[in-house]
Amino acid sequence: MEISFELNGEPVTVTVEPYMSLVDMLRAEMDVKSVKKGCEQGECGACTLLIDGAPVTSCLVLAPQVEGRHVTTIEGLEKNSLMIDLREAFIENGAVQCGFCTPGMLLSAYALLRDNPHPSMEEVKMGIEGNICRCTGFTKIIEAILDAVERIAPE
Amino acid sequence: MKPLPKFQYHAPRTLAEAVQLIDTLDNAKPVIGGTDLVPLLREAACSPSHIVDLNNVAELNYVREEDGFICIGATATHSQVAASELMRKAPAVVDAVSRIGSVQIRNRGSITGNLCNASPAADSAPPLLVYDAEVEIVSSGDTAILPLPELFAGPKINSLEPNELVTGIRFPVPPESSSSSFKRIARRKAFTLSVVSAAAYVEMDGGVCTEARVAFGSVAETPIRAPRVEELLTGEEMDGQTISEAAEAANQSVAPVTDMRGTAEYRRDMCGVLLKRALYTAVGRLS
Repeated sequence: MEISFELNGEPVTVTVEPYMSLVDMLRAEMDVKSVKKGCEQGECGACTLLIDGAPVTSCLVLAPQVEGRHVTTIEGLEKNSLMIDLREAFIENGAVQCGFCTPGMLLSAYALLRDNPHPSMEEVKMGIEGNICRCTGFTKIIEAILDAVERIAPE
Repeated sequence: MKPLPKFQYHAPRTLAEAVQLIDTLDNAKPVIGGTDLVPLLREAACSPSHIVDLNNVAELNYVREEDGFICIGATATHSQVAASELMRKAPAVVDAVSRIGSVQIRNRGSITGNLCNASPAADSAPPLLVYDAEVEIVSSGDTAILPLPELFAGPKINSLEPNELVTGIRFPVPPESSSSSFKRIARRKAFTLSVVSAAAYVEMDGGVCTEARVAFGSVAETPIRAPRVEELLTGEEMDGQTISEAAEAANQSVAPVTDMRGTAEYRRDMCGVLLKRALYTAVGRLS
């Protein structure tokens, strides 16, 4: 079936079987490889992306369910100032090791700081509760997100 | 890569269309968030021929007050319910849905889906049980209201007929003199199933409890109310002694099983502990 939606601001149309997950459609049909496939059960958060601005695990979304929606992956936020601050904070705080969780982690952190620019440590932990990192032990990621808070230019 | 089994996908725009699809298609399954259904499809634990996606039915997406009821539409997500101003009248529900799954799960999953999956550990169930919630059901040419306990037929089994669709959940607008709380114990704080959960609802007049309702999750084949505990609390001064007696009665009134997440003994003991915590929080919220 034919699915039309907006990917990172660009209208796209893809023909896929309805029984394909969104993560498979993006990786296999559209070459969007920043969206990682981990558990395929919605548990690990590696396939996190934004649908209409809200973080979701794309392994639990059926491809046809994004018809008419806005899908955002980290590629779509390359020039976004909040994402640039987050990216730099991740690099400088050692929050990236193997990198597999990083795109999903950055998107969850982005959604958190977009909606709550001054989160507490607890709120940061809750914001990334759906993203598993097996390298860092989370401490450096939490430090990076809190560091990004400091970097956000005052409005 | 675990492929999904083959099915046909339908995205009705109106409720009438959705009802017709569910009624006429053979082996059809409705989907809202898919947070439970998609993993089941992958494990081949469930193999529908048709998937009917309710997310584009605009008339099913609401959290509103109507005719003395708080009404939650079928496609309202946990995030949507947790953020709703109206739901502050039912704090136990907010306690539960604001910590179900993870951010990503709450942005997709719905209360209706959580209830229809009928897991004994469904966190939205105990709070809605103590608010005397009802389930609104439509089938071709028919509507029905089912008390929530009757939706649960057994562990992960609901009582719906294949042609029945849940359109929403409702419960009476709670009085100003009421409050509630939901507590749970799990292996960790985030993104995990409850080992035991408890919800408490109280209506207070001065220090006296004029109405009490309590419910537990993960201690029976379905989420359950505990009428004996409720009787003990009703009409009593809500002091430490009453609460301790209620906790003791709670331990006596459940018959949990041992599984990979906890033993029967532990669950039984924790029912009382959680009930105490829930009662203290609920009463505290009124002062």
